Amino acid sequence: MSEQHHHIVPVKTLITIGAILVFLTILTVFFGYLHLPSPYNAIVAIGIAIIKSSLVVMFFMNLYWEHRRFNIMVFLAGLVFLSIFIGLTMLDTMYRSHIVPGF
Amino acid sequence: MSQVNVATENKSFVQHHFVDAEQQFDTAKLGMWIFLVTEILFFGGLFCAYVVFRSWYPQTFMAASGHLDKILGGADTVDLICSSVTMALAIHYIQVGKEKLTFILLGITFLFGAAFIGSHLYEWLDEMSVGIYPGSAYAFKGISDPHAYVFFTLYYLMTGLHGIHVLVGMGLMAWLMVKTKRGRFSSEYYTPIEITGLYWHFVDLIWIFLLPLLYLVD
Repeated sequence: MSEQHHHIVPVKTLITIGAILVFLTILTVFFGYLHLPSPYNAIVAIGIAIIKSSLVVMFFMNLYWEHRRFNIMVFLAGLVFLSIFIGLTMLDTMYRSHIVPGF
Repeated sequence: MSQVNVATENKSFVQHHFVDAEQQFDTAKLGMWIFLVTEILFFGGLFCAYVVFRSWYPQTFMAASGHLDKILGGADTVDLICSSVTMALAIHYIQVGKEKLTFILLGITFLFGAAFIGSHLYEWLDEMSVGIYPGSAYAFKGISDPHAYVFFTLYYLMTGLHGIHVLVGMGLMAWLMVKTKRGRFSSEYYTPIEITGLYWHFVDLIWIFLLPLLYLVD
């Protein structure tokens, strides 16, 4: 009764996702050479990285087809903890009158 | 004792404490996902340090990052993406029972990993040749900013930790190749390939963020 129902990702899908990722990499390096004004260069670069990583997580790491949602929850919990970690640290470091001396 | 198992499940790879192969597979995958979450937080320490120092010294990061080769960083990214595709294809072909193709694709993935490491060693040696060392050994005079060494120390730590992960992944590829060659995997049982794939894609994921953070600041 343990009939295998693992999702088999078609070869065409994998190649297509790979091609999109390569295209986005070329795009982000191209934007790097454009030297956009300060906040926008970071927004574009990180935005493209988030799109790329979402593609990897969904289609290479198979979360898109996951029939057990628990793995998705575990992964998102990791991102929540990461944002708490960085966010709370920045609440300290962003509002200091003096940066730690020596650095 | 094993009578019950034989009755419900007559597959040699299923451990006695699992109900069936499917439960064993899902358990292994969940374990890998939890490990990957600890990895996110492991790298998170360095990402946090990066964000803090970049918010303190934005000009320094711009000047120092401009010193890195964007094209080389992009080529490394393409290399890792290709390795992720070959890894995913290896899983696809073991699922449809073509062990030979899986073996070849694992080999190609290994070679992509080796190319990445080679490219990185080249880049590191290139930088060290002008005096860009991590920490207090930093001796490069090309950037006048007094805090430039902070960026390069983070650069060495982040690419170094990532590089160690690539090396571990390459070791796992070699191990999987040996086991595939010996006929240990089939369309019914390929759990080690599946979860090693998860790890390898995660290593790709980290690099996808290192590219904009280190190479594309300016």
